[in-house]
Amino acid sequence: MKILIVEDEEELLNSIASYLKSEDFICEKATSYFEAEDKIVSFNYDIIILDIGLPDGSGLDLLTVIKKQSALTGVLIVSAKNSLDDKLAGLDLGADDYITKPFHLAELNSRVNSLIRRRQFKGDEVIKFNEIHVNPNSKTVTVNEQPVELTKKEYNLLLYFITNKDKVLTKESIAEHLWGDDIEMADSFDFIYTHMGNLRKKIKKLGAPNYLRTMYGLGYKFTDK
Amino acid sequence: MKLIYKTARTYLIMSVIIFITAGVMLFFVLTEVMNRQLEEKLYYNKEVVEKIVKYDYPLTTLEAEKMTPQERIKYPRDTIIIKDTLISHAIEGVDIDQFEKYRQLTAYETLQGQRWRIVTRNSLVRNKDFIWVITWTTVVILLLLLTSLWILNTRIAKKLWKPFYTNLNRLKNFSVQDQNPIDLEESSIEEFSQLNESILSLTQKLQSDYNSLKEFSENASHEMQTPLAIMQSKIELLLQSPMISQEQTQQLRSIYQAGNRLSKLNKTLLLLAKVENQQFSIKEQVDMKALIQKHLENYEDFILNKNITVHTALDDTKIQANAILADTLLSNLLSNAIKHNVQNGTITITLTDKFLEFSNTGNALTQDPVNLFNRFKKASTLKESLGLGLAIVKQICDVNKWHPNYTYKDKLHKISILF
Repeated sequence: MKILIVEDEEELLNSIASYLKSEDFICEKATSYFEAEDKIVSFNYDIIILDIGLPDGSGLDLLTVIKKQSALTGVLIVSAKNSLDDKLAGLDLGADDYITKPFHLAELNSRVNSLIRRRQFKGDEVIKFNEIHVNPNSKTVTVNEQPVELTKKEYNLLLYFITNKDKVLTKESIAEHLWGDDIEMADSFDFIYTHMGNLRKKIKKLGAPNYLRTMYGLGYKFTDK
Repeated sequence: MKLIYKTARTYLIMSVIIFITAGVMLFFVLTEVMNRQLEEKLYYNKEVVEKIVKYDYPLTTLEAEKMTPQERIKYPRDTIIIKDTLISHAIEGVDIDQFEKYRQLTAYETLQGQRWRIVTRNSLVRNKDFIWVITWTTVVILLLLLTSLWILNTRIAKKLWKPFYTNLNRLKNFSVQDQNPIDLEESSIEEFSQLNESILSLTQKLQSDYNSLKEFSENASHEMQTPLAIMQSKIELLLQSPMISQEQTQQLRSIYQAGNRLSKLNKTLLLLAKVENQQFSIKEQVDMKALIQKHLENYEDFILNKNITVHTALDDTKIQANAILADTLLSNLLSNAIKHNVQNGTITITLTDKFLEFSNTGNALTQDPVNLFNRFKKASTLKESLGLGLAIVKQICDVNKWHPNYTYKDKLHKISILF
């Protein structure tokens, strides 16, 4: 999968690229409108992560260029503005998703993955992690080909972990992923713990090893290593 | 007290004082003038009597008698005495005070070699009558004056002050959040047009200051987003590194948490600024019932954790509002009702097309509920709470012209919003 990251803040650009590279994406970077436009017309990308506020032009204009170039390319808008106008304009012009700065890298990765599924596989692809298979279209999970009954939160949790496998996921990032941005309650960490316990039990019962590691004080990691 | 009535009252008091003084002065001056007149007449009468005595004219009402021996000793020379005297006019059978005041001239004179006492008198207007007349005249004139003053004040002054009162009303309804300059009624009166100019420049300054303040807070929040994003992403990458020690992890975690708190605070302030700046102007039909149910589902864990019982009475209500704001409003109200609830408490949500009400069990506020909707006024000591939830609720209500209201009764916190 080839991703173009358009972001004028080089440090943020490097962070995103570094995280996505470790998820086996091929990342290319552009720090200006000019550079981005050049790359968009020259190469094909599966996903473009697009910052709207560029020093030499608006990301929204780039969006039109992208859509003219390849209708299949998924576009994820990144904005510091969190402004509805930008969001609506972006989605109107064909962007697929919208994320506001600051964001968790794991969340960005999860959005990119979900975008790829929607764009490239129309949601038919089954996400596999050893014996665990997740079907995003029907929102069903099987372990060793046996179906697992998961609650909505448990399902979201599992999908988030599988898309960010081998990564330490902080409690904050998990809480925001599960309950949304405006969650402001400390209790949420306890609930993560509860959901985590249930998820662990349900998967283990069907014969899968325990992939969920507790990273003391930080969060959790889903790994088979 | 209105200016018109204040000046009218001053006029009134002043006129009363002046009229009383004038009345008293009039009394004394008139008495003096009349006395003089009278005396002249008395002298004239005396002359007449003298002539009668000298030339033997017949006596009429005038008295001229020969002096008694005592008088002759008392007044050896010609003497004239003028004094006021009371003479009884008692009429038989009428028992009232019939003494009347007279001005009397008594002259002791030698006429034709004889000593005469000549008495001539003229009745005086009684003081009482005099005061009566003056008082009545004064009162009548005073009343006339006051009536005309009143008419002047209310009719003419009202007309004169009309632009002032119109502008005063417009000033009362003025809001700094209004983007349009205040519209003042023109006046040909110099003071008023000067006042208008001052008000206009003052309000314009106020609006532009307010706008730049709003812009500043929004821009400041925006500018903070990117550095915060860099910080957060760098720490997240660092946390993936297997090289860091346990101790370093703990320190990184603290930085991470602080950064997270900061970005949440920043996001919330940005949201507040945006709501205030009317950036959520696109309105649509919002299904409030469905939204409430969505949030109840999202907050399920939190509700179950406190073992809270939720009662809902939700009408199918669709209101004209911004979808994002309606969503934020409900999310804040619900999280507020959960956060400040007690174990095994209740939450009751009522929704009709007239109002929305969240009521929840909870401990009484430790501070004045007046501040409840203000920023950073935390009612609880929950340290995770930013203290901005209800400020956002208030702001959203403000831009939609809804009326939020808080009451606490029977251990129930009630927040109702009238649409």
